[in-house]
Amino acid sequence: MAVLILAAKDLRLLLRDPRSAVILFAMPLAMILVLSLSIGGAFGRKPDDRIRLSVVVEDEGLPKEHGDFPPANWSDVVLDDLSDTADIRVERIATRAEAERMVQRGDRAAVVIFRPEFSDRAHRCSFVGPEFKKDPINPLYRDGVRADALGVDVLSNPNQPVGSSVIQQVVQVSLLRVIIPWMIGQAFDNIGSPKFMDKMEERIPVLKSAYIFISKEKLGKAIKDGIENFFANYNFTAKTWAGLTKNRNPEHKEENRTDYKEQSSIGLNRGSVRYQMLVPSYTVTFAFFLTLVVGWLFVAERRHNTLVRLHAAPISRTQLLLGKFLPCFAVSLFQGFVLLLCGKLVFGMSWGQEPWLLIPVVVGTSLAAVGLAMVVAVLAKTETQVSVFGTLVVLLLAGVSGSMMPREMMPEEMRVISRVTPHTWALDAYSTLLHPDSIAVDVGEVLIASAVLAGFGLGFSFIAWVVIQLQD
Amino acid sequence: MANPVLEVRNVVKRYGKFAALAGVDFAVEPGELFGLLGPNGAGKTTLMTILAGLKNADEGSVLLFGEPFRSSDRARRHFIGLATQDLSVYPDLTARENLSFFGRLYGMRGADLKSRANELLVAVGLEDRADTRVSTFSGGMKRRLNLAAAVIHRPKVLFLDEPTTGVDPQSRNHIFDKIRALNGDGMTVMYTSHYMEEVQALCPRIAILDAGKILACDTIANLIGRFPAVARFKLSTVPEGLAESVSRLPGVLSAKATSLGLDVTAQNLAPILPGVVAACAEHASTPLAIDLDQPTLEKIFLNLTGRGLRD
Repeated sequence: MAVLILAAKDLRLLLRDPRSAVILFAMPLAMILVLSLSIGGAFGRKPDDRIRLSVVVEDEGLPKEHGDFPPANWSDVVLDDLSDTADIRVERIATRAEAERMVQRGDRAAVVIFRPEFSDRAHRCSFVGPEFKKDPINPLYRDGVRADALGVDVLSNPNQPVGSSVIQQVVQVSLLRVIIPWMIGQAFDNIGSPKFMDKMEERIPVLKSAYIFISKEKLGKAIKDGIENFFANYNFTAKTWAGLTKNRNPEHKEENRTDYKEQSSIGLNRGSVRYQMLVPSYTVTFAFFLTLVVGWLFVAERRHNTLVRLHAAPISRTQLLLGKFLPCFAVSLFQGFVLLLCGKLVFGMSWGQEPWLLIPVVVGTSLAAVGLAMVVAVLAKTETQVSVFGTLVVLLLAGVSGSMMPREMMPEEMRVISRVTPHTWALDAYSTLLHPDSIAVDVGEVLIASAVLAGFGLGFSFIAWVVIQLQD
Repeated sequence: MANPVLEVRNVVKRYGKFAALAGVDFAVEPGELFGLLGPNGAGKTTLMTILAGLKNADEGSVLLFGEPFRSSDRARRHFIGLATQDLSVYPDLTARENLSFFGRLYGMRGADLKSRANELLVAVGLEDRADTRVSTFSGGMKRRLNLAAAVIHRPKVLFLDEPTTGVDPQSRNHIFDKIRALNGDGMTVMYTSHYMEEVQALCPRIAILDAGKILACDTIANLIGRFPAVARFKLSTVPEGLAESVSRLPGVLSAKATSLGLDVTAQNLAPILPGVVAACAEHASTPLAIDLDQPTLEKIFLNLTGRGLRD
C-alpha cells in the first residue's frame, strides 16, 4: 500500500512538472519533425537486395469467351510470376504519365507497361494456325518474346542502359514462362482431336484403313497418350510453367507487390517511409531520457529534504524504490504509446502487420529505461549531476546503439558491440515490426528482444536496489 | 517515576576517524519538553537522526519506551514525529496534499485523515491556504506546515530540529504556542536549537552538547543555580582591607578589589547586598553604583562550550 501511496504522489508531481512533458513528449516529436524535414524521403530504406520492377497495368482484361484459363487477366498472371520469383519486387505505378515522368527524371531505369490489349493478345498466342485458333498470334522470335506484339511497352531511361537491360531481360523470361506453357497447352489440347485426325488423314490417307480395327476417336486418344507417355517428365496440357515442368506452384508472395507512393522530400509528407525509422528511433532514444526526469525526482526529494522524512516513515527502502519505479514506468509506457500514436496520427506511419507486438516492445523498453534511470537517480546527488551524467549516458547509449542513424550504416563489428545496449534490442524489434521492407514479422524475434529488454530493466533495477540499500 | 520515553546510552557515531558523537548519555521522561543545545557542529543533527531511526549508532544504544530502537525497526516509527532543520515538504503539492500524503504513509485513511488534516491546518493557521501549492508560501507558513506534517500521525515523541530557522517573530510565537499545546496534550518533545532564548522559553530541562559529548544535562534552574552571580560595586574610594572584610561575610564566595571598586561573587546576591554596603560604610567608602551580573543560559552555554568560533 505504501508503494501505491508513494507512486500516486510521484505521479502527481511528474504531471505538475512541465520539464517532464517537454523532455518526454515535445522534444521527440520536434526531433522527428525536424529530422524528417532535413533528411528527405530516402532515409530509413534498407539497401534493397531485390530487383525492383516497376509496372503500369492498363490491361483491359480477357476477351469475352476465354474459357476456364487463365483465372485472371494475363497481366496479373505475369505479375504473379514476377513477384513469386525470388529477389524480384514488383512496384505498381498508377499511370503511364507518372511512369514516363519517373523514367525521364531517372528515378527508374525502366518501367514495363501492359497496354489495354495485353490480355486479349496474350490469349491469342498460339503455335497452331487459324484452323485451330481464332486470330492466332505468334509472339516468338529469335531473342525470345516480341513484347510489342503482346501489347507490352518498356519505357527506358537512356542514361541507365544496364538497369534497363536487366529489367527487359527479367520481363522476357517471365513472358516466356507464362506464354510458352499456354501455347503448348493449347496445341496439345488439339492432339488427337477430330480436327487433328482430319489433318492427319489429309497427310496420311492410309490412316483411314486403321479405322477398321480402331475408331477414329480412340486412335486420336492413343496418339495423344503416346506422346504424353513419351514426354513423361512434362505435362503438356498444364498451361503453366510449374504444371508443364511438373513442379509445385511457387509460394505466392504478396509482400513482393507494392503500390508506388510518391515520396516528397519536403513538407510533412505523412506516411513517408522515413517515419517508420524516425518514430521508433526517437521513441527509444527519448524513452531513456526518462533518466533525467527520474533523477530530478530523486534529487528533488533530497533538495526538499523530504527524503529524510520518507526514511523516517515506516517504509522500507525497497518500497521507496518501488514507489518511484511505478509512476516512472507508467509515464514511460504512456510516453511510448503516445509517441507511436502520434507517429500514426501526425506522421501517418504504419504500425506494421502485427501491431499487437508493439505492446511487449514498448513495455520492455520502458522497463529497461526506468531501470537505467533508477541507477542514475540513486547515484546522482544533485540536479547538475543528473543532467550531466544522465545526458551523457543517454546520448552515449543512443550513439553506440545506432538510434541516431540507420543501423544498416554501422559496421558489422559495431552492430555486434551495440547489442550490449538495450536500445539496440528495442530498435531491432521495432525494425522487424515497422520497417517498410520487412517481408514477414518474426514473432519469436520480437518477443525475445522484449524479454531481453525486460531483463535489462530488472538488472538495472537490482543494481539501483543494492546501491540504495548501501546508502547511509 | 515513570520509565523514560527515550534513553540514550553511551551513543557513539563516527565518520571515518571523526567522532561526531563520543559517548552520549541522557534520558527523556514521558510528557517532557526537553531541549538539546549545542553550537554548530556539536553533533545535534547526528544525534537527532539516530534518535529518529534514520541512522544507527556505531556503539551504544537508543531505547524507545524501554526497547532498543534501530533504523530497521520500522513498526515503531509510528511513535516518532520528525521536523527537520531544513523544510521537508513538497513545494509542488498543496498544504492539504502534503498532510494527506504523510498521513497515508503512516497508515491513516478516510475521515480520520481528513479531519486530522483540517484540524492541523487550522492549528497552524493555514486553513485559508490549504489548497494552495506550498511553493507560493512564505518561510513562516512553510515552517508551520512542516510542523503539522511532523505530527499528522499523532506521534508520541516529537523531534524538532531548529524548527524556527528563518521565520519572523509572529510565526515563531505561533510555532511555540503549537509546541506547548502538543506537549500539553501529552506529547514528549525534544527541541534542538542553538537559540538560547528559545530553549529557555520552552524547555524546563536541557542537555548541552558539544564536540559529541553532553557537557551538562539538568533543569535550567539547576544549571543556573550552579553558577555564581557577580555584583560589581562602583565605590567613592577603594580602601585597603575592604575586600578581605567582605569576603568573610556569610554567603559571599569571593571579593576582589578593582580600580573602580569591588567585585563580589555569591551564589545568591540578594541576601549579601546589605552586608556589603555596611562593610563599605565601615571602611568610609560609599557605593556609587551596583552592577548585578546574574548567570543566564547563554552565559552558562558559553562558559561550557567556550568562546571560540564554530563553523
